[in-house]
Amino acid sequence: MSCQGLGDCDDARMQRIYEYLDGALTREDIAEIKEHLDSCPECTEQYDLECVIRTVVKRSCTEAAPENLKNSILDKIHAMNTVDV
Amino acid sequence: MALVKDREEHLAPGREAPMDPRRVTVDLDAMSTKDPAAAAMYEAAMEAADTPSGNDAIVEAAVETAVDFASETPGQRRARFERDAMQYVDQLYSAAMRMARNPSDAEDLVQEAYTKAFSAFHQYKPGTNLKAWLYRILTNTYINLYRKRQREPLQSNSDTIEDWQLARAESHSSTGLRSAEAEALDHLPDSDVKRALQSIPEEFRLAVYFADVEGFAYKEISDIMNTPIGTVMSRLHRGRKMLRDLLADYAADRGINAATEEKALATGAAESKKQEKRK
Repeated sequence: MSCQGLGDCDDARMQRIYEYLDGALTREDIAEIKEHLDSCPECTEQYDLECVIRTVVKRSCTEAAPENLKNSILDKIHAMNTVDV
Repeated sequence: MALVKDREEHLAPGREAPMDPRRVTVDLDAMSTKDPAAAAMYEAAMEAADTPSGNDAIVEAAVETAVDFASETPGQRRARFERDAMQYVDQLYSAAMRMARNPSDAEDLVQEAYTKAFSAFHQYKPGTNLKAWLYRILTNTYINLYRKRQREPLQSNSDTIEDWQLARAESHSSTGLRSAEAEALDHLPDSDVKRALQSIPEEFRLAVYFADVEGFAYKEISDIMNTPIGTVMSRLHRGRKMLRDLLADYAADRGINAATEEKALATGAAESKKQEKRK
């Protein structure tokens, strides 16, 4: 049996957690979810997992562009500038 | 952060929202997302320009900047582009890596997007969100130019994905994830995470990337991807779920290996202790 404090099924619960983390809720909704999370280890676990996933994805997908890319873009732009668009 | 209150747009998960007939045209000019600080400055400048009584030094400086936008020379515009837009090269490259399959294509994509952005820079409204504007051009460039070249269908095979997803949802619902798995997820190597992200269909992948890595609001993603907010939300919901299931699988695989190693180490330690005792 899973907790229904944030929604009547797992999908609904996750949607609330996503919106909560996405900053897409009203102040009242945020307060309500926060209060629930404080008292529900089960929903908190789901919340924690989602936080971990976001951290991991952010960490893994931060790549530096190759050294020469910025310069070749600037070269192109400088070449374009002589022709007025 | 955008406040999404229009719940009627929020469809049941697992369903794509129908195309909103109001949003059929692609217009680079139509970006409505704003960088709050720049927008405030721009608006203050515009207001001050309307009412000449504003003699505050900061406002005057802002007025000058605003006036410059309208009358700047091509050289000045280029300088402004270099100053404001070039700082996002790394971020756009990271995003392009989620679109293209390899670094060389990602480079081409970013270069193409930047030259397009530069050509259209007179259409960019100062005070609106430049980063989101650039992301929109990058996404359009990918869809219109790059993918045409690849001759891949626009929509991925959604039916297959749905079946696959249903199967995964069932196999995970019985056990659920444990905090130990949160730990395991946290230790996943970057290559696993990239592989997981890369294997979910691209419209879901990009929505998740824009939200979770770039932190764009639903409204901003809807502008970047040129889809209604309801579609963005359902893509995020499904995309995140797919990602989560894949990562949980990878973590479980690695978890088993780690547990085996740990056990081996523990046994080894116990053995050496025994040997020490014997001495």
